[in-house]
Amino acid sequence: MTDRPDQHEPRQPHELAAPTTPDPDLVDVLTGLFADYRATRSTPTAVVDLDRGLWRRLEDLGLTRLTGSESSGGSGGGWVDAAALLGLAAAAAAPVPLAEHDVLGGWLLEAADLPNDGGLRTVCRPDPSGVALNVTWAREASSIVALWEDRDQWRVADVPVGRVAIEERRNLAGEPCDTVEFDLDDLETGTVVAHEIGEQFHLRGALARSAQVVGAMERVVEVVLEHVRSREQFGRPIGRFQAVQHLVADIASETALARAATDAAVARAAASDWQDPGMLFAVGVAKSCVGHAASVVVRGSHQALGAIGTTLEHELHTLTKPILARRSEYGSLQDWDETLTALASSAGHDRLWTLITTGRAKPRRSDA
Amino acid sequence: MSARLVPPGARELPALTELRLEVRAFLTEQVAAGAFVPHVDTWLTRWDRDFTRELGRRGWLGMVIPTEYGGQGRTYLERFVVTEELLVVGAPVAAHWIAERQIGPSLLRYGTEEQKQAFLPGISRGEVVFGIGMSEPDSGSDLASVRTRADRVDGGWRLTGTKVWTSGAHEADAFFALARSAPLDPARRHDGLSQFIVDLRAPGVTIRPIISMGGDHHFNEVHLDGVLIPDDRVLGEVGQGWSQVTSELAHERSGPERVLSTFQLLAAAAQAMDDGRLPTDPGLGRHVARVAALHHMSFAVSTALEHHEDADTAAAVVKVLGTTGEGDIADYVDTLTASGWALDEELDTLLRAAILQRPGFTLRGGTNEILRGVIARGLGMR
Repeated sequence: MTDRPDQHEPRQPHELAAPTTPDPDLVDVLTGLFADYRATRSTPTAVVDLDRGLWRRLEDLGLTRLTGSESSGGSGGGWVDAAALLGLAAAAAAPVPLAEHDVLGGWLLEAADLPNDGGLRTVCRPDPSGVALNVTWAREASSIVALWEDRDQWRVADVPVGRVAIEERRNLAGEPCDTVEFDLDDLETGTVVAHEIGEQFHLRGALARSAQVVGAMERVVEVVLEHVRSREQFGRPIGRFQAVQHLVADIASETALARAATDAAVARAAASDWQDPGMLFAVGVAKSCVGHAASVVVRGSHQALGAIGTTLEHELHTLTKPILARRSEYGSLQDWDETLTALASSAGHDRLWTLITTGRAKPRRSDA
Repeated sequence: MSARLVPPGARELPALTELRLEVRAFLTEQVAAGAFVPHVDTWLTRWDRDFTRELGRRGWLGMVIPTEYGGQGRTYLERFVVTEELLVVGAPVAAHWIAERQIGPSLLRYGTEEQKQAFLPGISRGEVVFGIGMSEPDSGSDLASVRTRADRVDGGWRLTGTKVWTSGAHEADAFFALARSAPLDPARRHDGLSQFIVDLRAPGVTIRPIISMGGDHHFNEVHLDGVLIPDDRVLGEVGQGWSQVTSELAHERSGPERVLSTFQLLAAAAQAMDDGRLPTDPGLGRHVARVAALHHMSFAVSTALEHHEDADTAAAVVKVLGTTGEGDIADYVDTLTASGWALDEELDTLLRAAILQRPGFTLRGGTNEILRGVIARGLGMR
């Protein structure tokens, strides 16, 4: 047992922890914008198409290119703000391809140093034969950004929609989710990008989807609360029953955990511009917590809302269907749990906690 | 927005990580030297006064107690990382846990100058060990129903009644007892309660073991038979006991001990999967993800508490999710083993202890049923 170490310098809280909240002015603008959208939109439909009016409003505010660099016509926003935008848009069930167009497509174009005319983009990863499945919003895009693995290198091609064959399909949420077949010439002439771009794409997609699902789940909690406070049975609001209170507490708690995991990954991405080697773990934690929360939230919210929540006219399904559709994109829940299992087991007994706190099983030399 | 139950997250900065790594290096050294054997639920079941005193010498106890009372004058965030590191390595921290977590902060807030001088330096050195006496044979979740009576006598009070589930009372020096100092008014049942600082060696105190289902002795029944409490050992204000015990609950409920009680088992399971002693299974990743997310959530609550923000509902969320999760880890590893055996001594020892301790996780410090009610209140449902 050694002597007591030297007296430390007193630290102030701000030297120990940095808040990672989005720009409050942006949040105000978005909250107003989407509240207005919700108040004026038409009743829900089983088939959901792009809302071009909303897209133009977002465009006018610079929000469709929020994360693009200012030199390329973007707004220069970071991931913390982008995640807030994705979450609030998803909470409003806004049918607009913000993740595909800006966070993924715009980023790939910039990474490849390709021009971005601002026309609506979606994004996909075609297979070696040039076919991409489940391409959200493809039929609505003017051009599709393809990330293609060409032997041992990655290429990015911005292919006008007129040069691809589209088989129209829809996902569980009723949104366009098409099969796209590219001409291999267009992919083979794509711009070669750094290897890390190819690897990051999957992570960025997974985190963008997590941000969307969490935003939608937060709105589900509000919808449930509104219902259980106003719906009366046995002479009182059903929210007065302890069984219902516990059901709602569980939905809200799982949502909060998914939020904590997603925000932590977003903060790590923003602080390191995605260079932190712990991003794979951080995104995996978000994807896993979000995906498991979705099971609890979708099941519990439909239970709380009763039969009315199963109807087309009700808002609930405009949230729960996209929640389920998006949690399985950019890797299924099982895929991500397996990835985390591999990371955790290779970290082993002595490095599991290092993995959890830093995202890396092996410490950098400076971490001792 | 009412749907947002938990304060926004915060990123740990290098100055904090530095402290984390300093504590970790010391603990790694201690494990290697055989100073303790890592275990589960050590904040209840592993009592080691020498280890506790060594932490005190290193400045890792009484972290939020000001230096004029012998503490470290540091922040809740620094205390947070120290406690996390102690828990994940399964260190024997039970001797100081209650004093360091609850008693110190309560004394600081409600104690007299004399009480602070009398107890805080000893708590910070790890020399004075406290328990806490809340539950009674007929008072569990309904704490306001306590029947331990405080009768006014010349120069003080006499306490009569029985406290149960008092962790470590057989080894502790003193405890805080919640007692009824005025007759029960059914219309205002939270009134008339007071807190007393009780010397566990005083005449009239009888401590009997309550043996847990694994055969271990951690809990006690503390019988108080007219124990004399001088006026200067009343904590805070007479009649304000209820608000005093409930004001510090966020600290008690949101800490990493609500998440990490079975971390050593999770770590051993990860190793066993890597070695092929357990089947590779995605459930491991799922549990690791939850622990990681709860680490962020618990840190976020700690950050809010550091800034004196209300976090009672958030603390309840951490405790419901965390204690369920740490118990689920025990059950999960059990489902992976054949005949309940991993045929691995280290893993089996941890697994059995975790299974036996698990029922307590979601009971102590407020049952999950009570806490879901707290969350529902935070959501405006009651």
